[in-house]
Amino acid sequence: MAEMTVIMKRELWSFFLSPIAYVAGAAFLFVPAFFWFSTLFLNTGGATEAHMSNFFGYMPLAMLFLASALTMRQWAEERKIGTLELLLTYPVTTTQLVTGKFLASFFFIGILLLMTASYPLTLSLFGNLDWGPVIGGYLGTWLLSGAYLAFGLFASSITKDQIVSLIVSLVVLLFMFYASSLALIVFGTNHPGLIEFFTVISPATHFSSIARGVVDLGDLLYYLVFCSFFLFLNSSVLELKKRVG
Amino acid sequence: MQAPIPGVQRAVASGTPSHEYPFDSKVSLVTNHELNMIHVENLSKDYGQVRAVRSVSFDVPRGQVLGFLGPNGAGKSTTMKILTGFLTATGGTASIAGFDVATQSLEVRRRVGYLPESNPLYMDMRVDDYLRFAAEVRGVRGAQRQQGIDRVVEACGLERVYRKDIHELSKGYKQRVGLAQAMIHNPEVLILDEPTSGLDPNQIIEIRDLIRHLGTERTVILSTHILQEVEASCDRILIISQGKLVADGTLADLCEVLPSGALEIEVVGPLESIRQQLAELFVQGHVEHLAEGHARHGGHYFRVHVPLSMDAHAREATFDLIQGNSWKLVHLYRQKASLEDVFRKCTLSDAEAESLAERDLHSRVGEEVAHG
Repeated sequence: MAEMTVIMKRELWSFFLSPIAYVAGAAFLFVPAFFWFSTLFLNTGGATEAHMSNFFGYMPLAMLFLASALTMRQWAEERKIGTLELLLTYPVTTTQLVTGKFLASFFFIGILLLMTASYPLTLSLFGNLDWGPVIGGYLGTWLLSGAYLAFGLFASSITKDQIVSLIVSLVVLLFMFYASSLALIVFGTNHPGLIEFFTVISPATHFSSIARGVVDLGDLLYYLVFCSFFLFLNSSVLELKKRVG
Repeated sequence: MQAPIPGVQRAVASGTPSHEYPFDSKVSLVTNHELNMIHVENLSKDYGQVRAVRSVSFDVPRGQVLGFLGPNGAGKSTTMKILTGFLTATGGTASIAGFDVATQSLEVRRRVGYLPESNPLYMDMRVDDYLRFAAEVRGVRGAQRQQGIDRVVEACGLERVYRKDIHELSKGYKQRVGLAQAMIHNPEVLILDEPTSGLDPNQIIEIRDLIRHLGTERTVILSTHILQEVEASCDRILIISQGKLVADGTLADLCEVLPSGALEIEVVGPLESIRQQLAELFVQGHVEHLAEGHARHGGHYFRVHVPLSMDAHAREATFDLIQGNSWKLVHLYRQKASLEDVFRKCTLSDAEAESLAERDLHSRVGEEVAHG
């Protein structure tokens, strides 16, 4: 636990030293907010109820880019500059390394999400804000980001090249994001089972129900399993690398 | 294939530690790991189809500075990476302080400090932040942390750059930071892969002194292809070539055991008679009379390539011969092999040595070596 915390602290610290984190973070804070604010007053014309569902609607796509950008260097860079060799010879297990790195990016995104708290706070001054979906939206977004980060970190572990990692992460996550629609196109309506399957495995599906304010144990479990699975794969990649050389 | 050095290689094969440390025969009751900090047995490593390390065995007693010598791509780094737990061996076993590197990796890693060949550092961190991280990740926390940092900062002379970003540092200082992180947990074993590569002569001497100093209380393995380096800082030398251990011993051992093949003799007496009798004495050798410019005392100057069978008593035999004939011996010198000779002898087969000499004439191009 102490070892994992040390890894996590250094990793979190490195985000604050990295231009990528600042650029990606700034883009994340600016772009969705821009789209949302630009239509906010049109959509709410006449209505008395303030809500942020449009804002959270942008989150799955925005997170996809942010998570891929944050994780792309996490292993690839260590491999490229050779610090991986030191990291793997510290008295720290690969599970602790992987978890430490994952939690660092997870908390970094948490910090960015906290910085958007000014939006609902401002909104609550204008109108009658229902906080339930807002909190649900934040929780869902954060959990979704966890799933994306877990995959992005895994993608980073298989290459030395940050750009390769970024592209692999973006492409696969986009496929997952559109999994249910793609399944519908590929398999048609004859295979409801398959479509159901792809809908269930897509992180976005579980996001929308939490974002509506319905926190279901199954959805939480889904994210836990999804993250654990890719963190485990990540750890396996590192162990395999020791064997292959 | 290159011929192993006789005598030296036998010591390795029979598994008995070589003879330069005096206590091994006396202490038979202590367990193996107390005697040998590092134990390596039949270690092998394949990279795909390429066999980088072939059945290497050696023991390193506590407190010894071991020089790992070999050409680029010989398997030095690979062996070190296995010892540090960065790679798993394909075959064989290795243990440090009695802990198996494969099955008790964490225990091993707690006891080992490692400076990889490329000296990888987090360039965007400051020296003090980096050392704090290195200490904590090694389990040196709380009050011990600052003590540990102060100790290595002093030992490695990092006071002046303590608060600087690592990327601002010169190569020498970066190397010192690399050494500092390897020593921060006061490890029993230090594994340093080419610790002086890329440094200027002053820095090299400083780092060597530091390693010498470290070696008084720790077990150190350092790899290099710079021969002066091992001469300067190692108690014992292993030469590895094409993944195989080809020599093991102290510097003196290696130079002694290698048939130097050269005895310089200057004798005052009848030339033809001396030439003939020397040739009879060294029947399997080669007697060469060097005329002008060598003799300095008015005698006849010979260089004799001594056959291996006579190596041990070549000088006595020569002396007896000369005394028996009542000639005057004015110069008798046995040329000792230098470490360079040993190195070349061990790491090059005859054919390779020839082709290398040939290549030296032309420019040396495209010497591709895999895996440092």
